[in-house]
This record gives sequence, structure tokens and C-alpha cells, in this order.
Amino acid sequence: MIEAYLMHILILICIYIVLAVSLDLAVGFTGLLNMGHVAFFGIGAYTSALLVLSGVPFWVGLLAGAVLAGFAGFLLSLPTSKIRGDYLALATMGFAFIIESFMKNWVSLTRGPLGLPGIPRPSFFGFVISSQFGYLVFAFIVMLICALLIIKIEKSPFGRLLEAVRDDETAARTLGENVYKTKAIGLTVSAFFAGVAGSLYAHYISFIDPTTFSLLEVILLLSIIIVGGLGSSKGAIAGTIILLILPEPLRFLGFPSSIVGPARQMIYALILLLIIYFSPKGCFGRVQLGES
Amino acid sequence: MSIIVQLLLNGIIAGSIYALIASGFSLIYSVAKFMHFAHGAVVTVSAFFLFFLVALLKLPFWLGFILTVVFAALLGLLMNLVVYKPLRNRKATNAVLLIASLALFIFFQSLMIALFGADIKTVRSGTISTGISFLGGIITELQIIIVLVSLALLVLLWLFMKRTRLGKAMRAVADNKEVAQTVGINPEKIYNLTFIIGSAIAGIAAVLIALEQNIEPNMGFSLIIKGFTGSIIGGISSVPGAVLGSYLLGLVENLGIWYLPSGYKDAIAFFLLFIFLLISPKGILGLKKGVGTK
Repeated sequence: MIEAYLMHILILICIYIVLAVSLDLAVGFTGLLNMGHVAFFGIGAYTSALLVLSGVPFWVGLLAGAVLAGFAGFLLSLPTSKIRGDYLALATMGFAFIIESFMKNWVSLTRGPLGLPGIPRPSFFGFVISSQFGYLVFAFIVMLICALLIIKIEKSPFGRLLEAVRDDETAARTLGENVYKTKAIGLTVSAFFAGVAGSLYAHYISFIDPTTFSLLEVILLLSIIIVGGLGSSKGAIAGTIILLILPEPLRFLGFPSSIVGPARQMIYALILLLIIYFSPKGCFGRVQLGES
Repeated sequence: MSIIVQLLLNGIIAGSIYALIASGFSLIYSVAKFMHFAHGAVVTVSAFFLFFLVALLKLPFWLGFILTVVFAALLGLLMNLVVYKPLRNRKATNAVLLIASLALFIFFQSLMIALFGADIKTVRSGTISTGISFLGGIITELQIIIVLVSLALLVLLWLFMKRTRLGKAMRAVADNKEVAQTVGINPEKIYNLTFIIGSAIAGIAAVLIALEQNIEPNMGFSLIIKGFTGSIIGGISSVPGAVLGSYLLGLVENLGIWYLPSGYKDAIAFFLLFIFLLISPKGILGLKKGVGTK
């Protein structure tokens, strides 16, 4: 019982590390205050779930979810490439809202608020990952690959270009760099990995509905990368572990579940407020939010 | 024909409510220079406060109304003093203030779910009136009151901003905080006043919404989206622009569901927002550069 619970938390931590590290690539490295990351998570989850439910092999579903999420990131970068700061935050949040309303209203495809039940566990050439421990190993490997790839991008010359655009867009442009293209690639890659996380989530929980991908999730993701510190993958990982474990004691204090849910959100909101006041750089942050 | 009239009427009624929220939101934006997303939470919490007073404590409605507006003003003031002011003192950027306001929003929305449950509540009692026929459309007395109250408040706000000393001081801070300071205006006092006025209007909006519709803890989100979309369409730094944008949004939304399933109603606001961010980030009446660059 306890083992199953611990493994559940660890699997979620793996999934959220992929989400957090990819979000940090956009927010921390590229300087795009993206509040719509949850939309890419949702696109990955729905695409992968729908494809696998219709009989496509799991790895095709995972890849398709990631590619479609990346494509959505590219589309979002088109109208938003020239806005920044709080305007960009609202525009990206609006994008997430539009995607959520498609999930809710495109009933013939997504079953709307009823959600998609019975999403199968991943299988590779006939071998199904059915046990929880098996899934933990699988999620851990995927997380490791994603995190290492993102860190590799961040450390590459392209990663330094992203940071140059973040720190001084005008200077980067003066040096002949195409900043809009750079930002578009940054957002696309970030969205691609959020799509991977979506697929991992859908095939683990086996049920998704639009509420999983709502504004509340945006606050959690933002808290994670801000608590961990922007511009640091180590921070994103630390932030994920801290924030996912922190509200867990609520479960054991005997509160009814109708209180535990909102109490969790209140804790996240309070942590976010406290951290941006007392320690705006978080644990391992190299840059501060909205620093210009 | 009557369908068009009805949709236009619905658009104007919705626009009146959006205008009340947008005017407070854009007032705060123009003076304090950040997006006070938690304005939506002020509406939600105030609506639940009214529900608590009128439906649970059985206070007379007029008393509940007054207390709710006072409560809303105090809540807005409190948010400014406890959260935004300390952050401002630390030279937080407007993006940081936006995130803080988002956190405040989620905090209060979750608090309402924890206190009252996630289900829908009703404040109004008695029968639902059938409504009056108007050019082939139907409008209830309450809806007429909503439109009139909204228009009256907006005119009052406009007069306050143009004619009174305090209104002029608010506009001075909005224009240039440093210059206003040199002529002896204390910007922090003006911020407090702005939050009080903007939030009181949100409180009145909350009462009107509670009477017209049901209330639920998540109501603030879609309302603030409408509020800021209206503001941005009209030009966020201009209160009259925000009002105009809100009516436009109300009309587009209600004419839009003629073609689209009604579930997409909330998404229409964002589509409109995107179009305006692309074509004209300054909005219709906005004078300042509104692309988020400094």
C-alpha cells in the first residue's frame, strides 16, 4: 500500500520534471513568460491517448503527441513573437484557454467533459508495461532522456543564443541574429517536451479530462520553476520534488477530500507569493523573473 | 429579425457587466501599471459574501448590498497593501506583479471552494419575472436595471476622473508618477484609492451578477478574462476605451454563438484578444504603447 503510494508520487515527479525542465527552457532560458505550457501538456496527452485508443502503437502515439504539441508551440509563437512581459503572459494563457475549450466542446473527438477513460498502458512490440514499478522505470528513463536532451540544448551554442535573446533582444538583433526565429524555436522545443510529458501522464493515469489541463495547473508549473529558480534545470528538478511532496501531508491529516484539493491550490499560491517576495531567484535561479 | 434583436440585447446586457469589471481593471492598470488579475477574485469573493449575508444570515437585501460593496473595496485595498505594495517596494516588474495577482486569484478561488463547496449557489429569491417585450426581443426588469446601473456608474466614474481633485491626482499618477510626486501627490495613497474605487465597482458588479445568474467559485475566471479582453480591445490605459471594448466584446460574443456552439462563448474573447494583439496592440482608444515594452 505504502509502496504503491510512494511509487505513484515518484512517477508523477518524473512526469512533472519533464514539464518543468521544458517550461524553464521557455521561461528561464528564452525569457518567454509562457503561461500556456499546460496546453502543450494537454495536446500531447489527448493526441497520444486518442491515437493509441484507435489502435496505433504506443511509441507512435507518444511521438505524434510530442510533434503536435511542438507544432502548437510553433503556431503560438507566430502571433506572440513581438509581445513580451505581461502581455505575452496573458496571450499564452489565452491560448491555453482556447485549447481547453476545444477539449471541452469538441465532443465528437474528445468526449468533452466526460473525458477519455481506459487509455491503455504503453506496450512495445507486444510487451506491456502493466506494473507500477515497470511504469516508474519507464517514466524515469523517459524523464532522463528528455532532461538530458534539454540540458544539452541549453548548454549548446543555440542555448547561449536563447539566453542572449532573453538578456538583450536588441543587442542580439544588432549582432545579426534573427530573434523571432530563435524565440520560435525555443517555444517549439519547449512545447515538444511538454507533449512527451502529456503522453506519459495520459498512459499512466489512464483517464484524462479537460480539468487536468486547467489554469490551476499553470500555477503549479509556474510555482515549480520559480521556487526552483529560473534558468536552471537543477532548479526545475528541485522545484518539482519540493512542490509535489509538500502538500502530501494534507492527505494524512484527516481532512475530507473536498478540502484537500482547494487547500493544495492555496498552498501553491501562498508559496508562489512568498517566494517572489522573499527570494525571487528561487533555490538555484540564475535569472530573475521579468528582469530586463 | 427578433433573433438579432435578442442577441443584440443579450450583448448589451453582457457588455454592461463586462464594462463594470473592465473599468475597474483598466483604472488599476492605468494608475498602478500592472494587470490586477485578482480583480476577478474580488468579484467572486464579493458574490459569495452577498450570498452569505442574504441567503444564510437572512439580512435584508439593501443592507447586504451595501456591506458587499464596502467589503469588496476593503478586499481590494487589502490586496494592494499586503501583497502589491511590498512587491512594489522591492521594485518588482509588472510581470512579477501579474504572477502575484494570479496567485492571489487562485488563493481566493480555492478558499471559496473550501468554504462553500464547488457547487452552484443562488442568491435571488422569488419567481423569475417573464420580461418585457422590446422591439421583438425580451428583456427583464433586472436586466434593464443592470444596463442602467452600469451606465450610471461609468458616467460617475468618468466625471470623478475629470472633475474632482482626487480624480485629477489619479490621472496625474497614471501619466507620470515621478512628476506627480514632485507636485506633492503621494502615489501610494493614490494606489490605495484606485484599488478602493476599482474594487467597489467590482463589488457592485458582483451583486448584479449574483442577482442575474447563479454564483460559483470559478465564476471570476471567465469574468476577468472578459474584463481584460474588453480593456485590451478598447485600449487598456483608457477607461472609456475599456468600456467601449467591453460592449463590443459582449456583442461579438453573443452574435458569435449564432454560428458557434455556446460552449465556445468564453473562447471567443480570447480569439478577439489575439486579433487585437496582432493588429492593434494599442486598442481602439489606447494612447500609450501597449506591447509590454518599456
